[in-house]
Amino acid sequence: MKPMTESTDGRGEAKRSPGIAADETSLDGLMPEIPSLLAVTGIGSLAFGFVLGALQGDGWSCFFHAYLANYCFVVSIALGSLFLVTAMHATRAGWGVSVRRIAEILAANLFLPALMFLPILLPLAWGHSGLYSWNDPQTLAKESISPAKAVWLSVPLFATRAAGYFVVWSLLAWFFLRRSTEQDLSGDPALTVRMERWSGPALVALGISGTLAAFDWLMSLEPLWSSTIFGLYYLSGAVAGAVAALILAAMGLQAAGRLRSAITVEHYHDLGKLLFSAVIFWGYMAFSQYLLIWYANLPEETGWYRSRLAGPWGGVALALLFGHLLIPFFGLLSREAKRRKRLLAFWAVWILVFHWIDLLWLVMPGATGEGFTSALIDLCLLVGLGSLYLAGAWQTAQGLSLVPLRDPRLAEAIGFENN
Amino acid sequence: MSETEPKTANPAAEPILAGMLAEFDGPEALLAAAAKVRQSGYRRWDAHSSYPIHGMEQAMGIRPTLLPWLVLGAGIAAAAVAIWLQWWTNAVDYPLVTSAKPRFSLPANIPVAFELIVLFSALAAFGGALGLNRLPQFRHPVFSSKRFRRATTDGFFLSIEAADPRFDPAATLALLESLGPTAVEPCCDPAEARKVPAALCWAVAIGLVLAVLPPLWIARARMTTSDQPRIHLIQDMDFQPRYQSQAASPLFEDGRAMRPVIRGTIADGQLDADEHLDRGRSGAGWAASFPIPITRENLARGRGRFDVYCAPCHGLTGGATPDDLKREGRPDKLLAYGPVALRAMERIEGEQPGYNLWVMPRSLHEPSVVTQPAGQLFNTITRGLSTMPSYEAQVPVEDRWRIVLYVRALQRSRNSRVENVPEALRSELK
Repeated sequence: MKPMTESTDGRGEAKRSPGIAADETSLDGLMPEIPSLLAVTGIGSLAFGFVLGALQGDGWSCFFHAYLANYCFVVSIALGSLFLVTAMHATRAGWGVSVRRIAEILAANLFLPALMFLPILLPLAWGHSGLYSWNDPQTLAKESISPAKAVWLSVPLFATRAAGYFVVWSLLAWFFLRRSTEQDLSGDPALTVRMERWSGPALVALGISGTLAAFDWLMSLEPLWSSTIFGLYYLSGAVAGAVAALILAAMGLQAAGRLRSAITVEHYHDLGKLLFSAVIFWGYMAFSQYLLIWYANLPEETGWYRSRLAGPWGGVALALLFGHLLIPFFGLLSREAKRRKRLLAFWAVWILVFHWIDLLWLVMPGATGEGFTSALIDLCLLVGLGSLYLAGAWQTAQGLSLVPLRDPRLAEAIGFENN
Repeated sequence: MSETEPKTANPAAEPILAGMLAEFDGPEALLAAAAKVRQSGYRRWDAHSSYPIHGMEQAMGIRPTLLPWLVLGAGIAAAAVAIWLQWWTNAVDYPLVTSAKPRFSLPANIPVAFELIVLFSALAAFGGALGLNRLPQFRHPVFSSKRFRRATTDGFFLSIEAADPRFDPAATLALLESLGPTAVEPCCDPAEARKVPAALCWAVAIGLVLAVLPPLWIARARMTTSDQPRIHLIQDMDFQPRYQSQAASPLFEDGRAMRPVIRGTIADGQLDADEHLDRGRSGAGWAASFPIPITRENLARGRGRFDVYCAPCHGLTGGATPDDLKREGRPDKLLAYGPVALRAMERIEGEQPGYNLWVMPRSLHEPSVVTQPAGQLFNTITRGLSTMPSYEAQVPVEDRWRIVLYVRALQRSRNSRVENVPEALRSELK
């Protein structure tokens, strides 16, 4: 939608747009103690949560469930960011160049989740079945799990697959961040072509690995239950969370005097549209899963919903219907909601909160504990894992430009206008 | 960015000045000119370029469009229509149990609501965009300019219509020329441009006539008879792949297509648990009251069912009254007996008593029947009595009560006393 005289090469716009000052594009001089502060907060919170979990005296059920929920929350932000990067390349999005590097950095941080996965994996190897009941042969027999599924859900295969996911994700994230930063130096447009060429296969790999990871980590909490759409349900929530995180990260950086000229209200408008569509897509997935199970009414399928729609979790399910779909749908519907920064920040926080509640809703009904201590453990682990993840992202961003400085579409992105 | 259609009607046969067109050499010049024209207070004018120019909305003073609100309204209306339609058809008008779900189940209705929201919103967006832009438009003043043809390739134009209240040939021309255009020209509509083309009139007329034919054809088909089999428009509705009752089926072990009632279940609507409604009982004895409201509609329905199911034997009046028998010995046959009873009487005439098994239907006006509680009459219809069969299978439970209601009315009217008539009306009696 740019004037024709300038659309042929974009040089006209580059001349018109103010150049991006060097101090706008790096984290240098922005409180260097932040990463270590975040790391200390994270480890402290984790330790506190660990103590609280030990005091529960429920065989670590509450602690590990809360850990898994928050772990999947943090991973979902990284996965969603990786999806945004690949999707921008796949669609040759001009507008997104302004915010793409932030998403690249959030995604490149995926090596940390690999480390964070050890507290889930090691207890499994030691025979703990408080989180994944399939680790107990008696449960497998009692719930009449098929032999093939029992093999699929054995610890060695589970660990191998997890390693596979981390390798795929790290490779993808590393590839896109490296090529992009390489371009910062060389300005070679061929790198853009190369990233675009790989974005399609990357999306396929991401979809398959993300679906399998959701099956492994979240769906297998109830080993009898299965839903083929569940992976997309998790990934759609991940994209909503990642867009919200991206909006907040961009706003935070701008408040700290970074990226002032690179990101304009037009980019927030587009991010708002993405947030809106991710919210609708999440609702679409959630309802598609629910409708089929509700209609068929098969005991081995409805059991999962029974523990999540009856009792206190039923209230949470209703809260999700309104808070994760209906209210933000109308809240983000108008153009103004996406163009007013404070309003959009409000909705980004709102979506992040409900995305977190969504993951608690998926995981926590299997835990034994309830009440205040349980909620406190949830929060401790959110702060713990979230801070560590942010510290890692900050560390990754050190020495990198916060925008793809010499991306051939940067001028187009800065001059971009909605209409 | 569109404005209006020309409206000035001029019967004169010479070309009419319909507007003024100015050409500019680039988007910047057009933007500046648009801002000036807007400041001059013109309303019916437009800027034309082959692609959208950023900032043109502000320069022209175009307000945000109403369209999103139209689409939102259409979407909300669609949701309401979809939910109402499904509720009405599935839960009210033709209650149907599907997959053991409640008759009105919101989850099952969401997909239809979703699709209808998409449809209504899309139609509202399409029609709304056309309507708000005043399209379709047959003619616009700029069409008479040859120069204007370049508006879709590389031209930048600004047009002011003569229909604008501020339009003045000299002043408008001066204004346009002051904006630094590369050219200004008046746009004149040829006189015949005001007329609707004859071909279009014919096309509309023929279209209307053709549109009337199918309804006429359907109306004729509905009012006449034909010896041809009817046309099956919807084949899979008319010829459904289903089993007829009592048919065999390889699907089930017992080879029957009809499935027996599942042990421990009761079919929808067959609970029969209400002692009063379903069995006419109240406490230890027969119920004297009605479980249905006593209304004119129920009475009329009861009369209709009585005439169908009861009158063939009992007669339209329900039989002879004791007064009839006292007065004449034999009552008026046609009123007191139904055609079945009459035919039986013909057949057995002359036969010796005791050689036939025919039992005359009982008169409903005999004292022994008149004194029966309503519940007992209901029970007789439901279960049958001696040679009278049960009507439970043919007549739904509410209709049986309506028949009892009508029988009560018959008994009241055929055995009425002067005391039953309101005092004010007694003088009218002969």
